[in-house]
Amino acid sequence: MTMDRRSVLGLGGAIAAGVALAPGLHLIAAPADKSTPETAPVRTGKRWAMLIDTTRCTADCTECTQACRAENNVPLFGDPDRDIHWIRKVELRDQNRRQAPISLPVLCNHCENPPCVHVCPTEASFIRHDGLVLIDKHRCIGCRYCIIACPYKARSLVFYKTRPPRDANPNVPIRAAGVVEKCTFCVHRIDDGKPPACVEACTKANKGAMLFGDINDPNSEISQRLLKEKTQTIRPDLGLKPHVHYKGI
Amino acid sequence: MKSPTSLAGRLSRVSFLILVLIAAWTMALSIGEAGPPQPEKAVRGPCVRDAEWMRRNHMDFLKHKREETVREGIAVKSESFLACAGCHQSRERFCDRCHAYAVVAPNCFECHQYPK
Repeated sequence: MTMDRRSVLGLGGAIAAGVALAPGLHLIAAPADKSTPETAPVRTGKRWAMLIDTTRCTADCTECTQACRAENNVPLFGDPDRDIHWIRKVELRDQNRRQAPISLPVLCNHCENPPCVHVCPTEASFIRHDGLVLIDKHRCIGCRYCIIACPYKARSLVFYKTRPPRDANPNVPIRAAGVVEKCTFCVHRIDDGKPPACVEACTKANKGAMLFGDINDPNSEISQRLLKEKTQTIRPDLGLKPHVHYKGI
Repeated sequence: MKSPTSLAGRLSRVSFLILVLIAAWTMALSIGEAGPPQPEKAVRGPCVRDAEWMRRNHMDFLKHKREETVREGIAVKSESFLACAGCHQSRERFCDRCHAYAVVAPNCFECHQYPK
């Protein structure tokens, strides 16, 4: 917000007077907290995480990736080297062929120590209060350090200009060429109290392989299941504390 | 001084007067067209802020809102682009015409959709 010169000067004078009076004595009352539910910042204390049960995920199912593309207007260029993937299906094969191949979706892990955020020179990548790792595309200069830093290959650069698809979701911006993007855990849906689109699609398809929730709430389903079931993250040795947990790998 | 009384002299006087009137009339018309273009009237109101204040400060306002929305998660639905389009239905008449007049090229709509 802009302040005109007069009000800035007035404020300076008032502060000087307040300092001169006595420490601890406030002539000006502290501004009352006028935040309403809508204008309040995201509640701190939440920590969003995902649990993916690979025993329920099948190789032929692409419900989650399709739902992601539709929800977030992610285009397909038809160029495998430059296509944008927010979530992709990966097949894990046992080199000794003792186990059947495992199919699993891989997406941004929203790490607690995200290397992408640490290398970002413009602070475009950041961690929000609720633990989501997001990109402020207004600041991104497209240097791609973060793409190199991410061990999960979760980030993509937008190489080409795109037009919004005819049935574009108006709640998600389309993209400008030259910025990096990745999974946001459907931040616009989370703020509306809805689960990410991939989780919703997986549940609708009666797969139930994906679960999303707040792991800081001990009573949430995801917290309970993480306590009871044997799960692991990808590359825990890197110490990034990723928050997409897998069961059955 | 002797005033011209011939028919030709009178005609020339009248035609001069008509010419002056026509010139004044066209000038008056063109003055009506000058100045900044008026943005499209809202189909309903009131605006989230005073209209005069918005005209001067909307760019700072939007920038401030975008920082709050993206980085703090304070997404005020009533103050989003989508909400602007609820009252100002044409982006061409509400945003683009003034920006073209002022020769500014904000790149909001490279990514953001302005619903029609």
